[in-house]
Amino acid sequence: MSASLGTALFEAAAFVALLTACALPLSNYVVKAMDGCPSLARRVLGPVERGCARLVGASEQDSMGPGRYLAGALALTAVGFVGLFVLLLCQGFLPCNPEELPGLPLDTAFNLAASFATNTDWQPVAGESHLSYFSQAVGLTVQNFLSPAIGLAVAFALMRGIAARSAEGLGNVFVDVIRAVLYVLLPLALIGALVGVAQGTPQTLAPYETVQLVEPVAVDAEGNVVAADDPAAVQEVTEAVVPLGPQASQVSIKQLGTNGGGFNGANSASALENPTPLTNLLQMAAIMLLPLTLVFCFGRMVADRRQGRALMVAVLVLLAAGIAALTAAEFAGTAQLAADGAVYTGSLGQPAGNMEGKESRIGTAATALWTALTTAAASGSTNGSLAGLTPLGLVVPLVFMGLGEVVGGGIGTGLASLLGFVVLTVFVASLMVGRAPEYLGKKIGPAEMRLAVIIAIAPSLVMLAGAAVLLLVPDAAAGAGASAPFGFANTLYAAVSAGANNGSALGGFEANTPWANGVLGVEMLASRVIVLACTVLLAGRFAARETSAAQVGALSTASPLFVVLLLVIVVLVGALTLVPALALGPVAEAVL
Amino acid sequence: MALFLAATLALGVLYPLVVCGVAQAAFPWRANGSIIEVDGVKYGSALVGQSYTGMDHLWGRPTKTDARTFATKSGESLLWYGPENLSPASEEFGDVVQERVAAVRAAHPDQGENPVPSELVTASGSGFDPHISPAAAEYQVGRIAKAKGMDEEEVRAIIRQCTDRPLLGVIGEARVNVLEVNLMLDGVLKTAINR
Repeated sequence: MSASLGTALFEAAAFVALLTACALPLSNYVVKAMDGCPSLARRVLGPVERGCARLVGASEQDSMGPGRYLAGALALTAVGFVGLFVLLLCQGFLPCNPEELPGLPLDTAFNLAASFATNTDWQPVAGESHLSYFSQAVGLTVQNFLSPAIGLAVAFALMRGIAARSAEGLGNVFVDVIRAVLYVLLPLALIGALVGVAQGTPQTLAPYETVQLVEPVAVDAEGNVVAADDPAAVQEVTEAVVPLGPQASQVSIKQLGTNGGGFNGANSASALENPTPLTNLLQMAAIMLLPLTLVFCFGRMVADRRQGRALMVAVLVLLAAGIAALTAAEFAGTAQLAADGAVYTGSLGQPAGNMEGKESRIGTAATALWTALTTAAASGSTNGSLAGLTPLGLVVPLVFMGLGEVVGGGIGTGLASLLGFVVLTVFVASLMVGRAPEYLGKKIGPAEMRLAVIIAIAPSLVMLAGAAVLLLVPDAAAGAGASAPFGFANTLYAAVSAGANNGSALGGFEANTPWANGVLGVEMLASRVIVLACTVLLAGRFAARETSAAQVGALSTASPLFVVLLLVIVVLVGALTLVPALALGPVAEAVL
Repeated sequence: MALFLAATLALGVLYPLVVCGVAQAAFPWRANGSIIEVDGVKYGSALVGQSYTGMDHLWGRPTKTDARTFATKSGESLLWYGPENLSPASEEFGDVVQERVAAVRAAHPDQGENPVPSELVTASGSGFDPHISPAAAEYQVGRIAKAKGMDEEEVRAIIRQCTDRPLLGVIGEARVNVLEVNLMLDGVLKTAINR
């Protein structure tokens, strides 16, 4: 409950502080789990891990070089993509389909498969009306585990590469994926799912419920809903539908794995997926928990925790700025809402500010906080309608996504993007003082620089290219769903969301057209593959470099000065890519 | 390939089924959609809002209803809801708010020129928000009492019984479950659902 903006910001700060405090011990657990150190969890689940590894013929001793590691990660992504694509096309013939939903059209299936295999979870169609229980559980839920597991594996490959004392392998990608699922994702998801059902999220294989309406309505000849006593009414509607299904098991992993794809179209704004303030709080925590944990993992992996803490400070500064700006904008509301004082937007007996597109149980503050978290971490799940954000509030999600997963980001890809920017900053800073660039005792040569720059700016290029196609091709531009500047914002948001592998959407955009499905699908695949590939290759370059002893007077990458420099570089690159586009969309809307 | 198949079996089949099993055993009402059923009639889910315009009912958030998405096996339309997706800075939204304010004020002459609580004129994120703020509920008390021929305090007592407070006083918002209030006003429910 937030009486005022001040209270809301204080509560948000407390939430982020608590979450960061939880990430610290969890990072210890995750590092031990991924590196195969003995632990209580391994004593219990060790036999399962070894069984799985034997089944797929993988072994910890078989440490891979960058080529094989990358091939494994991409192969797993490709198999997941093709498997899901085929499953969605064949939905009509598969079991567990009580609503008898038909298979998806080719373009929709392509988009959805690309989306879930790349940890984006953009959804061109609403789950409850287009996907069977089989597609949701066996299709989407599986990718909701595997795509973050692949991200986690790749992040550990990069960390091992940077930490390697001399040329070593990066680990075994299949063993890493098994460990990520078994020790990290599955136990947390199971806890989350059980809390979810205890609070009210459905979990059943029974068909949808049909219930009696308290006030029946009617439809006219065109199928539009009208009042029961309307003269145009042709048929009474006395019943409503309540979508059910195995929702809780999917909702928990959608949040933990920075996936974000809801069981229902309304995502976590639906009281079925997110029934109470407690589930709202836990789901918000789950969105950001693992991205933050990985930042601390980095410090542990390079055996210098100050490095992790320095990066964490940079992440938290950006996060705090975004949360504050978004919350303030939503509390301020708009003139259209205030309607010259005819509408009460104060805080007595209700949440203050702009409640358009927000749920009563969640309120303004928690919707603003969630929206900032979900676009900073590349989750994309929502607990309100993003279209209902004030124009200046909308700038924050666009900026967070446009920065390219730096503020937490997707699991693994977020840390990789952040480290891409770190390498860039080291390079710039070293040039300023006239030294050969070096990070944690590893020389940074032209090859490393190339890879780091690609990681840092490739997603931005992909999203701007996608936006250009969607805006310039006349057939595609028809899907903007509103006139300029809001229509432009709709399209820009979609292109940015896909390119950032985020998946959140502005509801007005017509997502289920062949153009949108195609362009956004290609964007998602391109961004994901480029970032994964460059990350593993960068890991390989680092692993091959000898570690030199720290030089006296070398730039400390754990110092406040470096954190400030890193922030400047991140903001500068982000601003250069996005300011023109933002000015034409939401900023124009706020000013006009 | 073997890893993908093993994952599909473990994470796509086994994991959801285990959660199903525990959910159905431990929380059967919640796991099946929190359906409010009285004497064999299912009156709705406590988690899915409906739209109300009756003078003797508590109104919830404005909804955008849809009868095309779902139908019974015999082809009768079922009601479903969607988000409004309007930008709060758009002219269209300004017009919608004006219309809603006018409609709400016309139905509540006892409130005169008092400002209308925001949740009565703004659509929710899902389109089927089951709740409304205490301020928005209080605004309607006079109208409901008059239409029902009840005492205003009786109406307030019902609303109070169907109100959830923020968790630990700080997490989430105070909110009134609209369906429960209306079922109690209609005498279908005798007491609010255990919360």
